Amino acid sequence: MSKFEKLQPWIGLACRLTLGGVLFAAGYLKVGKAEISQMAVRSYELLPIPVANFLGLTLPFFEVVIGLLLIVGAATRVVAVLGGFTMFIFIIAIAQAWARGLNIDCGCFGGGGAVDPGQTRYLQEILRDAGLVAMALFLTRYPATKFSIDRAPRQSNAGETE
Amino acid sequence: MAQAKKPNGGKPNGGKDNFTRNLVIAVVVGVALIMLVPTVLSNRGDSSAAIPASVSAEDGYGIVFNKELTGVPFIEIYEDFQCPACARFEAIAGSYIEDLISTKKAKVAFHPLSFLGGESQLAANASACAADQGKFLDFHRTLFANQPSENSGAWSSQYFATLGIGLGISSGEYDKCVQGQDYIGWVKNVAEEGSKRNVNSTPTVFVNGKEIDRNTAYGSLGDFMLAVEKA
Repeated sequence: MSKFEKLQPWIGLACRLTLGGVLFAAGYLKVGKAEISQMAVRSYELLPIPVANFLGLTLPFFEVVIGLLLIVGAATRVVAVLGGFTMFIFIIAIAQAWARGLNIDCGCFGGGGAVDPGQTRYLQEILRDAGLVAMALFLTRYPATKFSIDRAPRQSNAGETE
Repeated sequence: MAQAKKPNGGKPNGGKDNFTRNLVIAVVVGVALIMLVPTVLSNRGDSSAAIPASVSAEDGYGIVFNKELTGVPFIEIYEDFQCPACARFEAIAGSYIEDLISTKKAKVAFHPLSFLGGESQLAANASACAADQGKFLDFHRTLFANQPSENSGAWSSQYFATLGIGLGISSGEYDKCVQGQDYIGWVKNVAEEGSKRNVNSTPTVFVNGKEIDRNTAYGSLGDFMLAVEKA
């Protein structure tokens, strides 16, 4: 067994807990605050208002579900793909807000909406989400991790080649 | 050696041992969906909700002053009684706006939003109760001048009942309206109208339908007066 093969399930566990924890926290902080969450989505000025309002209402629940499933390690690959895709969309949304010169908070962990010019943190937000996408990619490639409720968590993925 | 798993986004594992995992997935998704239903329902406006006398649905459920005037600027203010930036705007522009109302130089609509939570809803409801007693502007001014920190428990129905006495409201109707939250349906309608109007922060002020400049007019009385007089 190579060093990587021994480490990989543990790295996977760390990715699962980090990505899952971030998604769960992000969703949980917004679940009871539909109006703020809707406002945050609208302020990206990307979607028609009714669609943005619907997304603001449902996205927190989606994040909680994906986060919980990642934390327990259920259907890791599918859930990691969904979580990574979500983060990828967030990056696009934040990047377009930055490029268009909007002054908004990403509203990732509650809050959101317009902020004063100079109060934006687009670069930090994008870097954070890019890190999370990387973790999701790792989990998609190596879904077998430690302490997962997926079947046979100790299996190595060594048989796979690119 | 691992059994070959194709990275095609399919199920990571098949087989008999997945009962627990599937059960967990079903429970998590199920509970989330069940919780989503009341959230969606409570977010809906209700066009049959009781509205204060000074409110008109066609003006986005705002509390309107000088409704009958034409040919004057129409100022629409979206604010949350708990929002600190709204208290700053009120401190800067509040007495000017009240002057415009009393001298009949503008039509003004107040939209008390409640996105900051429970105490904002209580405050918005009580402001409508005060509007029915002709005391909305006093209520509005006093509340912003004495704004506590967000959802600290300071604003209760009891607080607003007492505040009514302080504002010289002697009607039992006001108390009943505050305690019974008679206008809570209207509060939700105001919130829904605000979201349809794409109001994404508070305060948001429109003059003749156009938002004033976020870089200047919210922070300076001179710039705000200019924005109103240009209109």
